[in-house]
Amino acid sequence: MKNIIEIKNLHKIYAKGTHAIKGINLDVKEGEFCILLGLSGSGKSTLLRCLNRLIEPTSGEIYIDGEDVIGAKGQKLRYIRRKIGMIFQQFNLIQNLSSITNVLTGKLGYSTLIHSLTFPQHKEDMKTALDNLSRVGLKEFADKKTRNLSGGQQQRVAIARALMQNPKIILADEPVASLDPATADSVMQYLGELNKSDNMTVICSLHFLSLARKYGSRVIALKDGKIVFDGTPKEIDEKRFKEIYGEDAEEVEIR
Amino acid sequence: MKKDNKLKLNLQAILTDLLIWIYILGCVSFLVNHWFEKIIQTNFVVIFGVAAGFISFILGLSIGRKIFLPTIKTEGKWYKTFWGWSVFLLLLITFIVGWNLVEVDLYKLFAKFQNAGGIMKGIFNPNMDIFMQCLAALAETIYLALLATAFAIPLAFFLSFFAARNLMPQTFLGNTVYIIVRTIATIFRSIEAIVWAIIFSVWVGIGPFAGMLALMIHSIASLTKLYSEQIENINPGPVEAIKATGANTIQTWIFAVVPQIISPFLAFTIYRWDINVRMATIVGFVGGGGIGLLLLQQQQMLRWQNVGIIIWMIAIVVWIMDMVSAKVRGKLQEM
Ligand SMILES: Nc1ncnc2c1ncn2[C@@H]1O[C@H](COP(=O)(O)OP(=O)(O)OP(=O)(O)O)[C@@H](O)[C@H]1O
Ligand SMILES: [Mg+2]
Repeated sequence: MKNIIEIKNLHKIYAKGTHAIKGINLDVKEGEFCILLGLSGSGKSTLLRCLNRLIEPTSGEIYIDGEDVIGAKGQKLRYIRRKIGMIFQQFNLIQNLSSITNVLTGKLGYSTLIHSLTFPQHKEDMKTALDNLSRVGLKEFADKKTRNLSGGQQQRVAIARALMQNPKIILADEPVASLDPATADSVMQYLGELNKSDNMTVICSLHFLSLARKYGSRVIALKDGKIVFDGTPKEIDEKRFKEIYGEDAEEVEIR
Repeated sequence: MKKDNKLKLNLQAILTDLLIWIYILGCVSFLVNHWFEKIIQTNFVVIFGVAAGFISFILGLSIGRKIFLPTIKTEGKWYKTFWGWSVFLLLLITFIVGWNLVEVDLYKLFAKFQNAGGIMKGIFNPNMDIFMQCLAALAETIYLALLATAFAIPLAFFLSFFAARNLMPQTFLGNTVYIIVRTIATIFRSIEAIVWAIIFSVWVGIGPFAGMLALMIHSIASLTKLYSEQIENINPGPVEAIKATGANTIQTWIFAVVPQIISPFLAFTIYRWDINVRMATIVGFVGGGGIGLLLLQQQQMLRWQNVGIIIWMIAIVVWIMDMVSAKVRGKLQEM
């Protein structure tokens, strides 16, 4: 398998001086389901956002599917971004637009301005959007404003939006942190499905070891901006767990 | 770093004290001149003001210290402290000077009521004969307010994106554009519509067109500020998400920013139209046409009954506008 993501000596220092990422080297193979663990403030969100340059890295190199991310500008950067679907803890949908419109925004990277303003007139786009909504089981919610959907439904709309990009990679930043356990598991199932049947590479930050064990093929743990563990979920025992989360931590179960 | 800051705070404190005491002594010299017709030289005012400021700063808890150096203990009731008395003195002398400058005269207010008899009679016996003429002038005013608002909306909408901190990139170009748009809007807004009306009544001649231009300029500046503040308050999450799909800047603005601001923008705009109708009346007074101009003419000819009908009609229109705009804004909020 080839490396779909290559990160070399990545650093991020925020304007106020916080050194959030301290020299990370990481290769991710195509088709992996990586779980990103780490305490709050360990740099998970920063790392994920560096990958599609929502945050500008301070130094280092990133290659996505062989393409240089750091050097990319304008159009080139947008072409790289559309290969990467992103899921957020707060769903980040546009609340007063309908689900279908939200899903259609996943197509923006492929569309000219005029085209994107007339999405409803383009049959193929509408069809793809509806297909993606059906895939996450929300076909009948197409015309509902997303503000009126539950958290789990909103996150599924967000997944459909990412699918619209036809991405090779999915970055998920604590996608289930604001959901109840059952809903969380169902959202994770959709991500697992994309990984298995569409061979999408997933990097997903989580706070729950049980979910990591269930869905992850690889676990990467960050502490203070550095990788402190990289292995399979099975390898995380009590000792490793305390290394990642500190001496006083207790594992919480979630099914 | 910390030392620098302390020095700066001390300087600000002492400067405040100097200005306060120069002001107090300035007021004293005004009063002396006003009551005893003795002139006190400006030099004296400044010299004694500076001296008093310095002494108060060095001796104790002056106002400057209280504001800028709050680390210093300040206990007890205000009247037991030096700064408390200073503030008291400051307010007292300001009030006394104000009373004299404004020529407050209670005798005139109560004993000369009959002077207003004409206008009072006019208001209660409005001359209905000029009703149609008033209506025409009023239409002029309302329409000029409407046009001024309508022309201002697209321009302000466009400009507001460039005046929003969170949308302008943190580059030299981005910052420059932001600062220029913001500064121009602030300057134009601080010039009252009435001043613009004077300028335009010379430029395009007295009449509703001048009034429209005046209100338009003022509305553009003011809406740009309101709109851009609204943009700065949007949820940044959707912007991030749309950017991540590979959308370009314009697409990001249209899909992630605009849907979030559209209903507050509408509310502001209606509010603005409401303000513009009131201002259109006043702008009319200085050459902006409409009902304001009519009112000015009738008042100068002392036709109190005509003035009466005009006042009634303005009041009714403003009252209706108020109600309608509150209703519409309420509806928008529910949306
Ligand atoms: N925009 C920012 N400006 C300055 N510092 C920031 C910014 N965003 C994050 N940081 C800092 O960078 C460090 C890493 O933050 P990050 O959000 O990446 O952590 P995280 O692992 O995602 O935490 P959480 O689990 O709470 O989401 C923290 O110390 C944080 O305070
Ligand atoms: Mg985070």
